[in-house]
Amino acid sequence: MPERREHWGSKLGVILAVAGSAVGLGNFLRFPSQATLNGGGAFMIPYFVAFLLLGIPLMWVEWTIGRLGGQHGHGTAPGMFDAIARRRLWKYVGTIGVLGPLMILVYYMYIESWTLGYTWFAFTGELFTATDQDAMKAFLQGYQGVARNEFFDGMGTAYGFFLIAFVVNFYFIYRGVQGGVEKLSRWAMPALLLIGILLAIRVLTLGTPDPAHPELSIRNALGFVWNPDFGALGQAKVWLAAAGQIFFTLSVGIGVILTYASFLKQNDDVALSGLTAASTNEFCEVILGGSVVIPAAFVFLGAVGAQDVAASGMFNLGFVTMPMIFAKLPLGFLFAGLWFLLLFIAGITSSVSLILPAVTFLSDELGISRRRATILLALVTFVACQPVIFFLSHGFLDELDFWAGTFFLVLFGTIEIILFGWVFGIDKAWRELEVGALIRVPDFYKHIIKYVTPIYLLAMLGVWGYQQFLPVILMENVAPADRPYIWGARGLIIMLWVAVGILVHVSWRRRGRREARP
Amino acid sequence: MTSGGVIFMALSWALVLGLVIYSFWKVFRSE
Repeated sequence: MPERREHWGSKLGVILAVAGSAVGLGNFLRFPSQATLNGGGAFMIPYFVAFLLLGIPLMWVEWTIGRLGGQHGHGTAPGMFDAIARRRLWKYVGTIGVLGPLMILVYYMYIESWTLGYTWFAFTGELFTATDQDAMKAFLQGYQGVARNEFFDGMGTAYGFFLIAFVVNFYFIYRGVQGGVEKLSRWAMPALLLIGILLAIRVLTLGTPDPAHPELSIRNALGFVWNPDFGALGQAKVWLAAAGQIFFTLSVGIGVILTYASFLKQNDDVALSGLTAASTNEFCEVILGGSVVIPAAFVFLGAVGAQDVAASGMFNLGFVTMPMIFAKLPLGFLFAGLWFLLLFIAGITSSVSLILPAVTFLSDELGISRRRATILLALVTFVACQPVIFFLSHGFLDELDFWAGTFFLVLFGTIEIILFGWVFGIDKAWRELEVGALIRVPDFYKHIIKYVTPIYLLAMLGVWGYQQFLPVILMENVAPADRPYIWGARGLIIMLWVAVGILVHVSWRRRGRREARP
Repeated sequence: MTSGGVIFMALSWALVLGLVIYSFWKVFRSE
C-alpha cells in the first residue's frame, strides 16, 4: 500500500524549496555573462519580456498541475498527465518529467561536489598554491582527474568529495519532504542570501583597487555590465539568449516543481507562491548575480579581460577566474571560501529537488515506501554517476547536459503548456489556478498561457532545432575518439527512459487489474 | 557608467526588489 502523502509544513517552506531549486550555479555565473555578451542593460528588455510571457506562466502552470496531480495521488508527470488528459499515451509522454531530473542529477551532483571540494581548498588556503591563471587551470584539471600534475596525482580527492555530496543529498531526501527538503531550504536559502549579499557588498565597495589604473573602477565595471547597447535588440540571438536564460534559471520544464507542488493541500495557494519563488530567484540573479562576477573581473582584468571571462564558460569563470580575483583581495581566502560555499548551497538546494521526482514516482506509482525508494534510487544514481566522473574529458557530462539540461527542458515545457491550455482546457485550468489564490491573477494571462507562451516556446524549439540540435545529434564537433563515449551517454539516457516507460506500463496494468476486481 | 546604464540598472533592481517585497509581504500577511 502506498504511504499517506506528505504535506509541506508551511507556505514559506515550499516557496523557499522551489526558490532553492531554481537558484543554482547559473544565477551567479551564467546570467552576468549572458547580459554582458548580449547588449548589457538593453538585455534586460527581452529578459523581462521573457520573464513575464514565459517564466511566470510556466511557473503557474507547473504549480497548478502539480497540486492537481497531488489530489489524485500522483507526484510526477506520468500520473498527472494521465489524470488531466485521460488518454493512454499521455502517461508515457510524462516519463520525460521523471527521466529529465534524474539525468540532470547524475552530472549536477558531481559538479556540486567540486564546489564543496573548492570550499575546503579555499578556506584551508591550499587553492592559493596556484598563483596564476595557468596554475589555477592546472589545479582544476588535476582535481577533475583530467591531468596528473603537481596539485593532484589522481582523482581520489574529487571522488571523496563526490561521496560526501552524494550521501548528504540522499540523506535529506531520506528524511522526507517536511523533515528533509523543507528543513534544508529553511536554513540554506537565508544562508545563501546572506553570503550573496556579503559578496556583492564586498565587490561593490572595491572602489578603484589600482590607483595607477583609475579607469578600472567599480563604477565603470557596473557600466560594463549595464550600459545599454540598443543595437543588440535588433538581433534575434539576443532575444533567444534572454528567453533561454529565463527558462533555465527558473527550473521550469524539468518536472521538479510538479513534484514539489504535489505535496500541497487542495486549497493551498499556487498563484502567489509561484510568483514569490520566481521573484526570489530573480533577486538572486539580477541583483546578486549581476553584482559579483563580471564587475569583479572588470576591476581586476579590465574590459578586454572581463569580455574574455564572460565568453569563457561557466566552469572557467567560477573555478579559475573567481579564485584568482579573490586572491588579490585582503582576506581573499575567506571571500573565495564564501564564494564556493555559496555555489555549494545553491547546488544542493537544486540537486535535492532533482532526486525527489524519481523517489516520488517509485513511491506513488509502485507503492514502494519512500525510504526504500530513496535507497533504490541512490544505488541506481551511484552507478549512473560513474561514467560521468571517469569519462569527463570525453564529453560524457556535456552530452547529458545537452539532452537532459537543455533539449528535454524546452520540449517538456512546451508539452506542459499545451496540455494545460489546450488539452485540459484553459477555462478549467484557470479555475484550478484560482483555487485558494492569495493574489488575483490578471485575466490577460489566460490568453498569454493559451497563445503567447506556446508560440514563444515552439519558436525557441524551432530555432534551436535548426541552429544547434542537428550539429549535436550528428556529432559534428566531437573528436572521433570521443564518439563511443557520446554513444554511451545516449545509451544511458535511452536505457533509463525505457526503464521508466516499463515501470509506468507495469504500474498502470496493476492498477487496471485492481480496479477490474469485483 | 552612462546615464543609460544607471537607468537600466536602477529600473531592473527596482522591478525585482518591488516584486520580492510585494510577494513576501503578501505571503507573511497570509501566514
